[in-house]
Amino acid sequence: MIKIANLEKTYRTEEVETVALNKLSFEIKEGEFVAVMGPSGCGKSTLLNIVGLLDDPDDGSYQFNGIEVAKFNERKRADLRKRNIGFVFQSFNLIDELTVFENVELPLIYTGVKGADRKKRVEEVLDKMQIMHRRNHYPQQLSGGQQQRVAVARAVVNKPKLILADEPTGNLDSHNGSEVMQMLTDLNEQGTTIIMVTHSEHDARYSHRIIRMLDGQTVTENILV
Amino acid sequence: MIKNYFKIAWRNLLQNKTFSLINIFGLALGMTCSLLIMLWLKDELKQDRFHANDKRLFRVMENQYYSGEISTFASSPGILAENIVKDIPEIEMASQIIWEEQPLFTVGDKFDKEKGRYVQKDFLKMFSFRLAKGDAATALGRPDAVVIAKKLADKYFNGQDPIGKMINIDNKENVVVTGVLEEIPELSSLKFDFLMSYEIWLKKNDWAKEWGNNGPRCAVMLKKNVSVDKVNAKIKDYIKTKNKESNVELFLQNYGESYLYSNWENGKQAGGRIENVRMFSVVAIVILLIACINFMNLATARSLRRAREIGVRKVVGAGKRQLVAQFIGESMFVSTIAIAVSIVLVLLILPSFNTLTDKHLAIDFGDPSFLLILLGLTIVTGVISGSYPALFMSTLKPIVVLKGLLKFKSGATYFRKGLVVFQFALSIVLILGMIVIYRQINYIHNKHLGFSKEGLLYMPLEGSLGKTYMTFKNELLKQPGILNVTSAQSSPLEVGSSTQGVRWPGKDTTKLILFSNNPITYDYVKTMGIELIAGRDFDQSFSLDTMNYLVNEAAARKIGYKDPVGKELTMWGDKGTIIGLMKDFHHNSLKVPIEPLILRLFKPSWTAEGGYWGNIIIRTEKGKTKEAIASMEKTFKKFNPGFPFEYYFTDDEMMKNYKSELTTSKLSRYFAFLAIFISCLGLFGLVMFTAEQKTKEIGIRKVLGASVGGIVGMLSKDFLKLVLIAAAIAFPVAWWLMNNWLMDFEYRINIGWWVFVVAGVAALLIALLTISFQSIKAAIANPVKSLRTE
Repeated sequence: MIKIANLEKTYRTEEVETVALNKLSFEIKEGEFVAVMGPSGCGKSTLLNIVGLLDDPDDGSYQFNGIEVAKFNERKRADLRKRNIGFVFQSFNLIDELTVFENVELPLIYTGVKGADRKKRVEEVLDKMQIMHRRNHYPQQLSGGQQQRVAVARAVVNKPKLILADEPTGNLDSHNGSEVMQMLTDLNEQGTTIIMVTHSEHDARYSHRIIRMLDGQTVTENILV
Repeated sequence: MIKNYFKIAWRNLLQNKTFSLINIFGLALGMTCSLLIMLWLKDELKQDRFHANDKRLFRVMENQYYSGEISTFASSPGILAENIVKDIPEIEMASQIIWEEQPLFTVGDKFDKEKGRYVQKDFLKMFSFRLAKGDAATALGRPDAVVIAKKLADKYFNGQDPIGKMINIDNKENVVVTGVLEEIPELSSLKFDFLMSYEIWLKKNDWAKEWGNNGPRCAVMLKKNVSVDKVNAKIKDYIKTKNKESNVELFLQNYGESYLYSNWENGKQAGGRIENVRMFSVVAIVILLIACINFMNLATARSLRRAREIGVRKVVGAGKRQLVAQFIGESMFVSTIAIAVSIVLVLLILPSFNTLTDKHLAIDFGDPSFLLILLGLTIVTGVISGSYPALFMSTLKPIVVLKGLLKFKSGATYFRKGLVVFQFALSIVLILGMIVIYRQINYIHNKHLGFSKEGLLYMPLEGSLGKTYMTFKNELLKQPGILNVTSAQSSPLEVGSSTQGVRWPGKDTTKLILFSNNPITYDYVKTMGIELIAGRDFDQSFSLDTMNYLVNEAAARKIGYKDPVGKELTMWGDKGTIIGLMKDFHHNSLKVPIEPLILRLFKPSWTAEGGYWGNIIIRTEKGKTKEAIASMEKTFKKFNPGFPFEYYFTDDEMMKNYKSELTTSKLSRYFAFLAIFISCLGLFGLVMFTAEQKTKEIGIRKVLGASVGGIVGMLSKDFLKLVLIAAAIAFPVAWWLMNNWLMDFEYRINIGWWVFVVAGVAALLIALLTISFQSIKAAIANPVKSLRTE
């Protein structure tokens, strides 16, 4: 599903040049659950952003479902992203001015799903995430665990093929953290490919494979299953 | 999707009440201003355009040549209309039109002076003034016809049908009512309560029958599909065919156009009211722009707060175009609320605005053009104010904003600062304009005219006073409070007649020179308070004085006499001597230079039949004006019982001549105030935002020992710098603009460097005051609290 070869990305400010990805290559098959680990600044998040089509690489190849997307312009990337990829962030990133229902509905609006259908699908996914009773609340009125469940609901409402999770339990206590990990595992079992960046060995154990990175390169890969 | 945008926009408005209020209120004020100006503009542009024959109606204009200079007048010989319509086949109809006159109307025991015009028989066929009673085609056909307004019909005939009834005019001839006018449209600059047969006027004004004399206006209606240029070519030398000595050329100006384009310089069109139209259009745009800039600035500044929303939207699939649409939509939403607020404001302000501008403007929601203005204003405001924030925010990178790494690039900051500078520069220009206009008006008001206008009254010399003037004068002089009495053809403020009929030994007869002239009676110089440089005033003890002349310095210069007293002068064939030289005084508006002036006594032959005419001029004793007026009224009623008593204060009347400047002055004050107020609203918001953004920095600085003053300084310094830059840009622009405006006045103030200092310091102080509220609040906040919020 994802095939990356010799990916390079360097960040430049006026005085400093930071190499985030250094000829990185790997492959992820459909249905896999992969954890990416490594110390701060090793390039994990950059990798996730490029895979998620939020950022573009300086050089190298990135094939998504067999299509070369490394040189896509922003409009094409946005189009591919909204139909295929869901995101879960450490800081939830819900829109404060929208209710739970409206936050989850947002991706469906941008993919042009009709109103009645939207309602059905949002309710379905809220039900599944067990936050239906909170549908009219605003993010500030929810606990961290609940907010992350809303974020997961938003990530999956469009039935993406790929979910990218950037330290999804980073802001949660262990109980809520485990619940979110369980949700991701369930989604994976239903066929969604998941790539998760994490610092937590505990969370990483939910995955099938751990890619460990250092200085923009993979150092080891552990296959857990 | 639109519902979603709407929701977000609405909730954002509610959540940030201060910012929303600043935005909506600022925009609403800007829009109110623009709406008022647009209503006024619409009215101005439509003035005199309602006549069905608009495109075919013209006024006949004269170009007169004096020593190489061309002077343009709207007046022409009083027999032009009847002749030109016969001689020029392209002209279908023509009518003389006389300036507003106020004859005395008497019906039974009711009498009053009424304002109206003398016109010719085709007038009502040419112009679209409708009759409620009578036939427009024939109403003015008979030589003793009068058509009256409905209010006069009610006043004199108590609801009876006035058609066929008689009205006595000036206690002399009778006229017959042949029609009743419908209300004169607001959009007509020509106003009148009656229209009377021109022949009545012409009978009393023999001079107007000569081709060499000008006065009456002449309007013509061309036949359909006739080219104006062709007619212009034909009529150019028309007067010369009637009067060999004439130096006059005729041309046509569209009647509707003449309202806005009435000024001429050396034969060329030189604007008129259109300049005000242009100036206020610019002001409307500027103020709206200032309000839009507030919105842009605050929205962009606040984008840091909304960055996460933008990031999320992008991550879940929003494209740039959708985000631009969202933010433009939001500003459109705000501008819709603002226009609703501004409509309420306009409704509230309109009565005062009408008084100020002397108009009857009204909001008409059934008028499609007004609705179009509203819609246009909303869309333009929405798009202008939303464009920059939308473009700025839609290009934010999602990963950057979601990680909270967003910092403003210097480009964006410079742009924002540039907007503040632009805003303040415009405000400072308006402040400077306001000060200069105010000073010029003040200057005019206080300028010594060369005679003393305080305590100087005048009243029309009419009715039986013409014959009894001398006794009336002597009677007045016995009354308390009255110092001097005289009379003259012209009012003290405007000597209307001029003549080329002046000769002196050694005059170059090939050159035409125009002299203002004013027939007067004894004691004129004394009553007016004019300074005599040499010679003496007219004196009853010199029997030959009716053939003598007084001249002003300008006239002496024109003639070429260094010491004119005792020298020979001939006017209209009357050879006499110059007996006195007057110091130049303003006998016309300050907009024109002092013209050469000749004063002479009324000749006995002029007054033999009808007596004196013109104005009685009275000098009252200081502090006794009230008694003087009371005694004037008592005496007047005794001498002129059939006429209502009326009088004018010279200084009040003078200010009426500058009504348009006074209105401009007042309006400019309001607009300048509004502009600076809206700018300050924006500045207030920006400082609030900056303080909020720097909460942590302020906290740390305070923990490390910074003083409140230091923090206030830190927050204010940058903004004050912007105001200074704005001043530097505004000064030359304002100087240029105001210098141009002042050029309209022959006598004008020097702008002076201190005006700039005042405007600059004022802008700085106002900005400082605006900034200090927020910066002091931020500076005295407890640092522990501000650090904890981070």
